[in-house]
Amino acid sequence: MSKVSFSTLAYCKMVAHAAKYPHCEVNGLLVAENSTKGDKLVIVDTVPLFHQCLHVSPMSEIALMQIDQSASTCDMYIAGYYLANETLDDLSYDKPAHKIMDKIVEHETNVCMVVINNRLMELNQKESALLVHTQDDGKWKRLNNSNVQIENVTLAAASAVLQQQLYNNLVDFDNHLDNLSLDWLNTEFSNCVERTSGHDMGRRLMINKSVS
Amino acid sequence: MVHLSEAQEKLKKYREDNERKSKEVLELWDSSVKHKIKQLGNDRYLVLEQVLIAACDCNRIDVAKVCLQMLLNKFPDSLRVRRLAITILEAEEKYDEALESLDKLIKADETNAQTRRHKVAILKAKCQISEAIKELVEYLKKFMVDQEGWQELSNLYLLEGEYAKSAYCMEEMILHNSQNHLYHQRNADIRYTQGGAENLELARAHYSYAILLNPNNIRALYGLYLTARSLISSQKNNQTKKNTFKKIATLSLKRVEHMYSEKKQLNKKNQLYVLETLMGSLHLSLN
Repeated sequence: MSKVSFSTLAYCKMVAHAAKYPHCEVNGLLVAENSTKGDKLVIVDTVPLFHQCLHVSPMSEIALMQIDQSASTCDMYIAGYYLANETLDDLSYDKPAHKIMDKIVEHETNVCMVVINNRLMELNQKESALLVHTQDDGKWKRLNNSNVQIENVTLAAASAVLQQQLYNNLVDFDNHLDNLSLDWLNTEFSNCVERTSGHDMGRRLMINKSVS
Repeated sequence: MVHLSEAQEKLKKYREDNERKSKEVLELWDSSVKHKIKQLGNDRYLVLEQVLIAACDCNRIDVAKVCLQMLLNKFPDSLRVRRLAITILEAEEKYDEALESLDKLIKADETNAQTRRHKVAILKAKCQISEAIKELVEYLKKFMVDQEGWQELSNLYLLEGEYAKSAYCMEEMILHNSQNHLYHQRNADIRYTQGGAENLELARAHYSYAILLNPNNIRALYGLYLTARSLISSQKNNQTKKNTFKKIATLSLKRVEHMYSEKKQLNKKNQLYVLETLMGSLHLSLN
């Protein structure tokens, strides 16, 4: 896989998650559509996971099971992982929490891993704040920025999210576990971004089945 | 424009509730307190300290320095004010300079817990986790009742993947406060992550106790489900035990389901569908 692109929704959610908890490390999952598997990876949505304690595994396991199940109901799959470290200049991805990545790679080859560069989390998003990595011979290699597609409308939407503090509406899995009525699929946040940016957000993760 | 007394009340409330609210504090400063600081009476130095820390959070070093100057004028020899000056150095990312000044402060007053804690925080900011751990261990030898200290040490050990040591810190927290369900839950989380038959048994016990203390702790319920599931597949346990674990797993998931069905939410029916598949996978794992 040589190219990765991110939808506006996927990018905004990652940036919003890091902005909502500037003093914490955060992580989450990337989601792509089964039908677009090929040379280019298209990340359509993300699921913000945790900000409280990333390095114990039980809740990650629960989240992975639920999100995997949800994705399979709308013909999508878990296509990667993102993280932002606690300290400003830390771009490492070898902490215990990030073993989730190995689990994802076991099931999928068409995946990428994103480290958010805290230095580039500016109110005015001029360039992408993501460092995208792909697997090469069992090792993670940084993908050149020219192979990472993020459109200008996406950066503009992300700037709006930061400037208008829309990130306060974002719900991660930790928030959901604290209060079950909060929706980790973030329908409300997506609509919010859609309204401010004036662009259709396209396909997003849904659970297309329900109990009778 | 916020009225001064109103702003004062708000700031006081943040301080009493131990809330940082840096952005809000700074807005209050800019909109009303800034020019009327002299009218605040004795409160004013506490407010200055609060604003200084908030300003460092929001990268408004100019504001922080103004506050520091006013505090220095009043308390030229105070260690507390000197520590605030170090906070500004830290915000400017001059970590080495900050550490140097901090070492002097520690020497000046060895009984001051805050300066030692501050040193650990700076080491952490520099990503020197093992040094931070060393410093914190030394600190906890002297200040054993500092619960926040133990909690931080537990987190630092997790970063290093030292689960057994991290769990030890959590046990220390439980000794301090045995009725807090969150400590039991976190201890169980760590034990589960570490794995192995003995740790899974411990995880089961602590999750159960957390649920006993707070039946609505959803993390503990999910955790108990996962632990019981792993215990079922462990070879060591006989059939009667396995049946008990199966019951435990089913019961905890039932309780989770019940909690979901009580809530009003957008995707309730979809959420319940996902839970049902978890239940399904449980039956599969047993046959």
